[in-house]
Amino acid sequence: MVSRSSSELKALLLTLAVAATPACSTVRPEDKEFLAHPAMTFGSEGDREGQEEHVLQNREASFGAGGVSGGGCGCN
Amino acid sequence: MQLTRLLLWAWLGVAALGSVAEAQVTVGSTTSFYRESGGGLESTAITPSLQIRGDIQDVVTLRAGWEADIVSGASVAVVDAPGGEVDAVTSATKWNDFRNTATAGIGVASEFARLDASYTYGHESDYRSHGFQLSAQAELFDRNTTLSISYGRGFDKVCNLRQPTALEAVDRQRLPTSDGCFGGEDRESLDLAIHTFQGGWTQAWAPILATQLTLTAQVLHGYQGNPYRAVWLGRAAAQEHHPEHRARYAGGLGVRLWLAPLRGALQLFGRLYRDTWNIRSVTAELAYDQTVAEGLRVRVRGRYYNQTGAHFYSDDYTRFPRGQYFTGDRELSPMSSWLVGGRLEYDIPANDEGSVGPFARFVLAAKFDWIKYDFRAFHYGQVSVPNNTGILATLGLEAGF
Repeated sequence: MVSRSSSELKALLLTLAVAATPACSTVRPEDKEFLAHPAMTFGSEGDREGQEEHVLQNREASFGAGGVSGGGCGCN
Repeated sequence: MQLTRLLLWAWLGVAALGSVAEAQVTVGSTTSFYRESGGGLESTAITPSLQIRGDIQDVVTLRAGWEADIVSGASVAVVDAPGGEVDAVTSATKWNDFRNTATAGIGVASEFARLDASYTYGHESDYRSHGFQLSAQAELFDRNTTLSISYGRGFDKVCNLRQPTALEAVDRQRLPTSDGCFGGEDRESLDLAIHTFQGGWTQAWAPILATQLTLTAQVLHGYQGNPYRAVWLGRAAAQEHHPEHRARYAGGLGVRLWLAPLRGALQLFGRLYRDTWNIRSVTAELAYDQTVAEGLRVRVRGRYYNQTGAHFYSDDYTRFPRGQYFTGDRELSPMSSWLVGGRLEYDIPANDEGSVGPFARFVLAAKFDWIKYDFRAFHYGQVSVPNNTGILATLGLEAGF
């Protein structure tokens, strides 16, 4: 029982640490010049990549986790 | 007709709101050409599309889109075992198909969050689909973190040959043609329900580093086979028979690193996938995006994909049956693929007045991919898959008003 509680506590602390990590890694708005570049923005290719995804989905059994658009530059 | 009407209403909606509410309207169009070549089973798909988007005072976004698939080729109707005597490839059936989809959507945004809803209608001679999608996105921690969730629901209908319900799977015949679908007395439509859940976490870690984690789960229930395809079972051929339930899970991680001295970005992507048909796959992608002049970018990339086969897949059901299910689908066999490609994109720089001729913005793009498939455990009779090379070329433009 002791060992189970201990491992659950460790898992909880690890989860909290991972969840808090983004808050610690702040990039200031004035430092986002490169992050705002289309090459650094996830999903900026839009429909031009969608048709390739359509082709591959019809020829492979896998699906999903291809990414989402946006990501917010927050430059202004 | 229904599709045309839907698209027309969506177009009118965007145009009317654009004119009264000072919207920024963006029109985009792409056309793709896909060709799979090789010994008698060539296929070609031409896919034109049109998208219109109106952004009203950065709060409301209206979207409408249309896409068509004009597909022609030849396919093997009865997939035989490697020892089969019939030359299945030479006797392949020629076919043509025309698919139309129309999409309409609305989005509402506040300073740090947005909500989107969309509807898609798909129509082809042997398939109908209605799809709804809801998504939400929030930006946190000085916009360094973006969290998103989405849910999609598909209501699909597949045409099939009407056969007695009590008929065993091994006695079922394949659909010979799409003639009479959705109305004919000797045809029936089978349901397929699709639920798709997705969550994403995008994170800016440093001024030159961003990552994106995406998790997807999809649950399908209903008919998931190809009604035209049959499998040779020893004494006779029967329409392929897949399980009605399938749950699919995928996790992907993307990394983007800006290489300041080169003015380019290194893009990495990896994905792991598994489903309840026991297919597991891995995808790895490496790309490099280089800015070569103001507004002009070149992107090159390579992709590798490898998957295991479904638990009920066999290359020879007469000698190695796999329980009650059987398939002639090469995509359910163990396989891998390589892709190399490139893209050229030119976002034409604006003049001193901030415009590009009559447009607020104008982007041109051209893309080319070469794909090589390796179906290591799939045969049409005695021959390996002949059409194992594909090329995909895409031209696109986007204009902002």
